[in-house]
Amino acid sequence: MLTRHDHLTINRSTVSRRSFLHRMSAGALGMGALSMMDLLSLQAAELRQQGRAMILLWMAGAPSQLETFDPKPNHANGGGTKSIKTSVPGIEIASSWEQTAKIMDDIALIRSMTNKEGNHLRATYQCHTGYIPSGGVKHPGFGSNVAQQLGDPNLELPSVVSVGPTQGAGFLGVDYEPFVVQQPGSLPANVSSPVTQERLQRRLGLFNQLEDNFAIRGGQAASDNQKRLYDKAAGVVLSPQTSAFDISSEPDALKARYGSNDFGKGCLLARRLVEAGVTFVEVRMNGWDTHFDNASRCEDLSRQVDPAMATLITDLKDRGMLDRTTVVWMGEFGRTPRINGRDGRDHFPRVFNVAMAGGGIRGGQVIGSSSPDGMEIADRPVSVPDLLSTFCKSLEIDPNHENMSPLGRPIKIVDGGTPVADLFG
Amino acid sequence: MRCLTLSVAVLWLSALFGPFVPAGDAAEPDGSGAKSANRSRVVAADVDRLLEASFAKQQVTPAAICDDETFLRRVTLDIVGTVPTPNEITLFGLDSDPLKRAKLVDQLLASPKYGENWGSLFREVIFSRATEERARIGQQKFEDWLAESLNKGRPWNELVTEILTATGNSAEDGRTAFMMAHTGNAEELAGETARIFLGIQLQCANCHDHPTDAWKREQFHELAAYFPRVQVRADLQARPPTFTVASVDISERQEQLRDRTTPEQLFRLLDFDRDGFLTDVDAKKTPRQADRLERLFDRGDNDNDGKISLDEFKAASAQFAAMGNRRSSEHYMADLEHPDQKGTKMQPVFFLSGDKVPFGTSDLDRRGELAAQITSASNPWFSKSFVNRVWGEMLGESFYPIVDDMGPERTAEYPEVLDTLSQAFVQSGYDAKWLIRTIANTQAYQRALGTRQPGDSPPRFAAAVTTRLRSDQIYNATRQALGVTGFVGTVGRNSGGADPMSRYLQRLDPGRVAFFRMFNYDPSTPQDELLGSIPQALFLMNSPLLQSLAGASSSRTMLGGLLADNPDDQDALSELYLRTLSRNPSKAEQKLCEEYIRTGKSRAEAYEDIFWSLLNSSEFVTKH
Repeated sequence: MLTRHDHLTINRSTVSRRSFLHRMSAGALGMGALSMMDLLSLQAAELRQQGRAMILLWMAGAPSQLETFDPKPNHANGGGTKSIKTSVPGIEIASSWEQTAKIMDDIALIRSMTNKEGNHLRATYQCHTGYIPSGGVKHPGFGSNVAQQLGDPNLELPSVVSVGPTQGAGFLGVDYEPFVVQQPGSLPANVSSPVTQERLQRRLGLFNQLEDNFAIRGGQAASDNQKRLYDKAAGVVLSPQTSAFDISSEPDALKARYGSNDFGKGCLLARRLVEAGVTFVEVRMNGWDTHFDNASRCEDLSRQVDPAMATLITDLKDRGMLDRTTVVWMGEFGRTPRINGRDGRDHFPRVFNVAMAGGGIRGGQVIGSSSPDGMEIADRPVSVPDLLSTFCKSLEIDPNHENMSPLGRPIKIVDGGTPVADLFG
Repeated sequence: MRCLTLSVAVLWLSALFGPFVPAGDAAEPDGSGAKSANRSRVVAADVDRLLEASFAKQQVTPAAICDDETFLRRVTLDIVGTVPTPNEITLFGLDSDPLKRAKLVDQLLASPKYGENWGSLFREVIFSRATEERARIGQQKFEDWLAESLNKGRPWNELVTEILTATGNSAEDGRTAFMMAHTGNAEELAGETARIFLGIQLQCANCHDHPTDAWKREQFHELAAYFPRVQVRADLQARPPTFTVASVDISERQEQLRDRTTPEQLFRLLDFDRDGFLTDVDAKKTPRQADRLERLFDRGDNDNDGKISLDEFKAASAQFAAMGNRRSSEHYMADLEHPDQKGTKMQPVFFLSGDKVPFGTSDLDRRGELAAQITSASNPWFSKSFVNRVWGEMLGESFYPIVDDMGPERTAEYPEVLDTLSQAFVQSGYDAKWLIRTIANTQAYQRALGTRQPGDSPPRFAAAVTTRLRSDQIYNATRQALGVTGFVGTVGRNSGGADPMSRYLQRLDPGRVAFFRMFNYDPSTPQDELLGSIPQALFLMNSPLLQSLAGASSSRTMLGGLLADNPDDQDALSELYLRTLSRNPSKAEQKLCEEYIRTGKSRAEAYEDIFWSLLNSSEFVTKH
């Protein structure tokens, strides 16, 4: 009988079809454990997934749908926000989003997101994990799930990176824990060694020999793990790939297009990391909790996010990376259509919006709609599980893939939900 | 009618702007009665006899008893959460008293650091699974209360009773931590109460009958029915932000009225002079509500005109609705087919005893009765779950594979040992110190690491295992190794996962917070899932602050001073090993290091490298 830990080990070692294939080709393959057809279908899946990645532009605090991609210029609830035409006839967005408007052909909007959770932390947890918080289980963030499914085991960089705090890997463990970058653009904290590479190598040599001594004294398991961990950490320090974190070598003109603020730098960093093989990058933009002065604050935030997002999508497209990179713009919920007494908008999970590009998403279309006053979904409601299933489809991973929680309970990547089929093809 | 509805208004306002919180009685009995050391010795011997018998039956030879250095580091970490100083190691080694280990255990238990260490552990047991992460703002208060209570020797059943029945303000009363960690949510509280205080994972039964245990969905919701009247209100504008835990005892009739009353109706009710605004004039008409109306003026007067308009009133009301913590008089189990309906009203029934509380019972009576049921001497789960956790913390493995999942359909290893210890723990008067003393004095606790070969799976407790230190322990060990009392400035902000709480933690010891952010883990996680992380490794490898403190070029650093004081390498290495790993180097290590020094650029640089290797070693960040 398998013990719980056997389950986990097995589960972890079947992380991706890629590593499965690696192992099969080394061993059982030669003995005919797989038929040629099995192998071909595995390979086909493998090839389709190759290099798939996702960039999540997270609008922390919950962005107003009315000041972004679902403006209501002709209704009192619109709050005076004007709309502008986009490159796609019939689609209009809020007027601060000029750069985004120009590339609407590449972007699909969902204007009919709906949910019940109106508390920032709980909704953030839910949108990141697909589950509402529960004391019993620490659900993995979606990025960690994606990294577990698609991550390249030979990559010297962490497979999940977040510019700003995010959801952890939960029970998937440290292998998929997001590597958090606080200051985008330069090397992350503690990545550069205070001593020369040669001296670091010498130190690591001594470290390994001393670890061997502890192993002999009975610390085998801890010591093996430590050596593996330090091998990875030293990889990050010594690898030329780590220079992906440093954006200084990018052309000044491109940097200017992304924007010199942290969010712009974060988006440029995201592109560099995906280019270097990182599977999931989140870039966080704080400040969307606009309980007062909603219009002017949204304007200010949009002016930073708009050029960065538009440049990111264009840049990915120019490099031939957009087809395999899913870009998502979203926050944890929407904001009340009625303006409150402080010219602000309050929490409103009933209607919010999401923008997506790349990863097989057909741009230039709008999914669903809200009522003229913005108070209700008028057409085609999309739930959080629907949205996460859509991400899975875009990344070609199976939302029903089950990981074993520490209590031995199988947990799907997404529980329920149907992908929004219209977004594809 | 106006009178009745006014009482509803009171409730409504109280929900929105703060309940009346009776002053808690601060009387705390000092439960410091010294328990029989003799009884502890007898039970420790019983435990070892039972284990030996089982080993013999399995034809297993347990590992030898560990040496003094190993025991000293292990027990110092376990009881007071830090590592011994080189002086303490030397003195302990020289002490020829055959009872010195038992005496050391008593000394450590008498230190105030004992309470701090175990308070820090239970802080994480509760807060690691908090569904309201902002509750972390109250963690220090909780930890301080628990540390003080444990140091006073107050019994565990009393402490748990106080945690389960707490009301009041998080800034003033640490006992409110548990209620606040789940914002009074009845279902979360039910699941976590069962998990933490009974070792039973009941929360799966929230939505369906438990898949592997016998628990029914009804039983889960009958447990949740002890908590529907707990209200936790966040006041995040306050400096520091606070949470208030209170009882909302309203009748079902009042509740129905409240739920049917719209903000517009309420507004009209409170607007005595009918001028379309709530003003001081209106406030004077309801003097009992003066405080709450005052807050409404403070928070809800968005245009600062000194009066509350209907729109402002509705905005405040919507904000409250969004918080979603309106309490009800009874708990309802949701109908999964019709989630928007209210569901089935559940009577509080304690699933382990069948004890019931009538509908309509007040919040504090409900919670008091639940606490009495949980801590009842006839409930073995309560004592077993505590013994299982303490044993697991000290030996690195508990009797069950997962420390907080004991069943009933789970199998314990050595159930007779767990029973023996649990019964004795009850007899000790739920004395945590007594339990820790007893475990520390067993041979099972004092075994050396096993020299297991790959593929071996020796029985539990036949040899010691390595376990990862908790963040506070790593912080203390690092300070000790570097010879500093604390860290000035930040220690690097590149932490692992989500950390929205950092700004609330800023007032605390910055070094401790930095290590918390970097190294903290949920202590209910099985040890074999605690593997460390890349940012943790990078922090110990490269953090500029640690590197400067670990340098040898200045005599003001620990290492600089150590090298100046010890020109002889054997002495210097010995001192360095004692400081970092609490032991002398082995012959092989001595040779390895001397060779490294000989071939290095300079003595100082070679020692920096050796110190670096020791600080980054698995031995440094684990207990063994």
